[in-house]
Amino acid sequence: MDDRWILSRRQLLKTMAASGALAAADLAWWEEPLVRPRRAWGAAPVRFQFSVPEPKRTALVESLAQRFNQSQTDFEVKVEFVPQAQARQKLIAGIAANNPPDCCQVWDNWVGEFEGMGAVEDLTSRVRDWKYYKDVTPIAWQTVTLKGKILSFPWVVTNDGVYWRTDRAAEYGIKPPQDDWTWDEFMATARAFTKPEKNQYGFGMRGQGTWAVLYATEFMYAGGAQVLRDGKVAINSKEAAEGLDWYLDLFRKHRVCPPSVPTDGWRGIVEGFGRGITNMYIHNSGSSEEQKDFVGAKSFATVPLPLGPGRKRVSFYFSETLTGFKNAKNREGAWRFMSWCMDDEPKFMYCKTLGLLPSRKSLADRPEFTKDPAYQGFIKSFPFSIVSPYLAYAGWGGKLDSEGVPLFQQALVGKLTAKEFLEKFAEVLAKNMA
Amino acid sequence: MARSDATVAVALPRPLLSRRARELATGYLYLVPVAVCLGGTIVFPILKAMHMSLYNHVLFKPQEYGFVGLGNYARLLRDETFWLTLWNSFVWVFGSVALQFVGGFAAALLLHQSFRGRAFVRTVTLLPWIVPGVVVALVWEWLYQPNYGVINDVLLRLGWLRDRVAWLSDPGLAMPAVIATNVWRGVPFFAIMLLAGLQAIHDDLYEAARVDGASVTERFRHITLPLLRPIIIVATATRVIWTFNYADLIFVMTSGGPANATQITSTYTLVTAYTNLDFGYAATLSVVLLVIMLVFTVLYLRVTRGIESAT
Amino acid sequence: MSRRRGDAAERILGGPVLWAGLVALTLFALGPFVWVFLTSLKTRGELYATPLRYLPATVTLANYVDAWTSRLTPFSRFFANSLWVSSVTMVATTCVSILAGYALARFRFAGRNALLLIFLATQMFPAVLLIAPLLSQWYALGLIDTYQALIYSNFSFTVPFTVWMLVGYFDAIPRDLEESALIDGCGRFGALCRVVLPLAAPGIAATAIFAFVTSWSELLFAITFTTQTEMRTLSAGLLFMVGQYEIQWGQLSAGVIISTVPVAILFTYLQRHLIHGLSAGALKG
Repeated sequence: MDDRWILSRRQLLKTMAASGALAAADLAWWEEPLVRPRRAWGAAPVRFQFSVPEPKRTALVESLAQRFNQSQTDFEVKVEFVPQAQARQKLIAGIAANNPPDCCQVWDNWVGEFEGMGAVEDLTSRVRDWKYYKDVTPIAWQTVTLKGKILSFPWVVTNDGVYWRTDRAAEYGIKPPQDDWTWDEFMATARAFTKPEKNQYGFGMRGQGTWAVLYATEFMYAGGAQVLRDGKVAINSKEAAEGLDWYLDLFRKHRVCPPSVPTDGWRGIVEGFGRGITNMYIHNSGSSEEQKDFVGAKSFATVPLPLGPGRKRVSFYFSETLTGFKNAKNREGAWRFMSWCMDDEPKFMYCKTLGLLPSRKSLADRPEFTKDPAYQGFIKSFPFSIVSPYLAYAGWGGKLDSEGVPLFQQALVGKLTAKEFLEKFAEVLAKNMA
Repeated sequence: MARSDATVAVALPRPLLSRRARELATGYLYLVPVAVCLGGTIVFPILKAMHMSLYNHVLFKPQEYGFVGLGNYARLLRDETFWLTLWNSFVWVFGSVALQFVGGFAAALLLHQSFRGRAFVRTVTLLPWIVPGVVVALVWEWLYQPNYGVINDVLLRLGWLRDRVAWLSDPGLAMPAVIATNVWRGVPFFAIMLLAGLQAIHDDLYEAARVDGASVTERFRHITLPLLRPIIIVATATRVIWTFNYADLIFVMTSGGPANATQITSTYTLVTAYTNLDFGYAATLSVVLLVIMLVFTVLYLRVTRGIESAT
Repeated sequence: MSRRRGDAAERILGGPVLWAGLVALTLFALGPFVWVFLTSLKTRGELYATPLRYLPATVTLANYVDAWTSRLTPFSRFFANSLWVSSVTMVATTCVSILAGYALARFRFAGRNALLLIFLATQMFPAVLLIAPLLSQWYALGLIDTYQALIYSNFSFTVPFTVWMLVGYFDAIPRDLEESALIDGCGRFGALCRVVLPLAAPGIAATAIFAFVTSWSELLFAITFTTQTEMRTLSAGLLFMVGQYEIQWGQLSAGVIISTVPVAILFTYLQRHLIHGLSAGALKG
């Protein structure tokens, strides 16, 4: 069995080297003497489900797990990689069959759902005694707190900003977006970036996946709307409809977006920008490393979302969490692994490699993050970032995916007006406030 | 004295079970393996699903779990999306199967002739069918890709398109696009079924007809079609049922989108179960699908049997 | 079936129409694969070049190497898994269905027609809802990430279909042949093996191939019942390969070619038996 360990480390290094994921300098942390892990017999292995497997992430998370397994001999952590499209299904199926993984990496908007199923391990008491409790920013804790209970570790955090092509802006003589640019300037920039004869578009709007609705909501907030007002659903207000109309018109009327928008999810917008089809797109910092690969670090930069009418804007802050399950076989092991991942080195490696920001202040203040232009848009957006309003109720997480997004797509393609979409969407939200 | 060679009637021992009973026992015995297989993998889950359809069973709302009788079915009747998916399912099924049938028949007629390289062409024709559905879906996603797909490129070069079309992102084009893929994938099925049927028809029948002066089309109409009818019926019924229930192409290519344009009832059931976590309602949808298929099959068989007995 | 001089219509159909048709058919079936093959030979830069390049300027085999050796998507392993699961499903299904088909074809007993109808009906149940109950079953039995879970689950769609087909084939075989065998003293099982099976062999081969092909293609069960990469089948592995931020079309194309060529070669030999077997039962329907 130990042979498998050695072999897999070699394979791992080969993959890492081949994918160029980690620069030579970064391998330094791995060069520490590798003590062959002594396997503990009898203790149940900790199953850690990890979704979003890109070659980079797989190599990295494997190396994290192996490093952890080296550092202690009580039990072994086994990583289960699942494509993100199926990750939620697998977790649900596992929970329903009473066999969930011991811990997993999930987004904060899923945690509420699992908590509603009574499946999540409540970390509140243990976390307050944890050594880095105060180092994690309060807003990060907010993303994983439901009804006063802290349900997960916020591993990495991020908010939304706008990516834009610096080289093409120079080429086309476009004024670079300023940190306090307005909607009008956004529209003008998008128009200037749209060159149909070259198959280039100004803005890669997202039409698929939960965040399609979230980006639209950010624009609606910039227009003065809110999801909840005085505890009641208020997303179907006049300001929201106007804001949404403005946003959708980018695709419907002004055609500064590519035709593939209705089915563009993460992959669509990231690849679209990376391959030069679009020259701007909204996303969190998580795709910055990809874009450094695609277009090169010198060709793009990030900037905060534009200011709406009334000089308002908001960026949704969310976290990728480490969550443990109540029915896990090795809950103690899960806790130890999760808290280890929040330690300096592992968290720094994870964040830096993937372009995400650490939830711990001491790490976030390091120059690797504060001085990198690819992060500027996000760091500058922190002052006006708020936790996603859709986290308010556990029942909303799944409904966004199942009903919100299809309704949004209908509005995109013109089957519903913005007002109709908002009415129906508000209904869905109101029905699921639990 | 000569020994008598006459046989003496001796009473044979009576077996425990009569021959008839032994036969029945053997028959039932042979059925045991299949009963175990299907019992565990289908019958039990179906019964469980029927049972589930009578309950409100939303996975993340365990406190609301309870018996609702026909409440889920009432909800189904009021559910706009369900009726939309039903319509989409019919378009998907009948569009695909009709075109698959026509294409498959043409292919079968071609492959029935003798020519050099027949084995090669037959294998090539089979390829879209023996390749897993995921492969078909991914290959065609790549072909339909608006920016790097060969379909857009060829159409642009031919001048048939002015702008690039996002085939799978346009709600009006997505369904025809996935149907086209399904047709590509399903033609081989009909091709081999019909080819098998063609090969079973004796040449003498055609000879006799030719001698009688029948033309090609007349021979086709009066010999080929009637003799192929049983295979056509079986193949079409199987294909309709299969297409209705298996949605791997749509699942991989469009996930039912955009805006439910390609959402068929079976993908809707999947979404209801795994995204909405509403197992009670998903069970209801499945039971309804099952009933629809049963009704279809009974009607289909009755109609085709009626045609048969009329001729 | 040889072409003979007949009327003008026949000559046209037999000549240019036939050839045009064959060319069209080959292009239709093979076209997408040719494109995928060309894609698999291109470098990453060439894949996304505008304007679209048809032929690769530099032929590279890197995609094939990556697809075969990649730890995340070990195609060799996926292929082997699919092969094993499909083969066992095929063999087991055939055995079970032969017994059941024989029983239903030969023995008259109460409930026979109802049973036949049940076999038809079970084919109509959407697999999607079988997943949840089956998942809890397999967890309870500890069969997750085993070949067995996939094989047993595959029975849900292969067995009804093969039983249904085999009943038809067995019905077509006249009883007298078995009767004489029975009179000669072999039991029912002997009669089955010695008389019926050889006669129905083409039909059995055809249904076996159907069972193989449909379980080869199976997706939903494979995704849900396996968690480890090494246990994934080809379908699940390919879907798994579709990345989050980009689809590696080069590697994916190589993987598609790798998984298709052996099956294509296999079917060059099998297609004759398949068609022969189907036509044996064709007229009976």
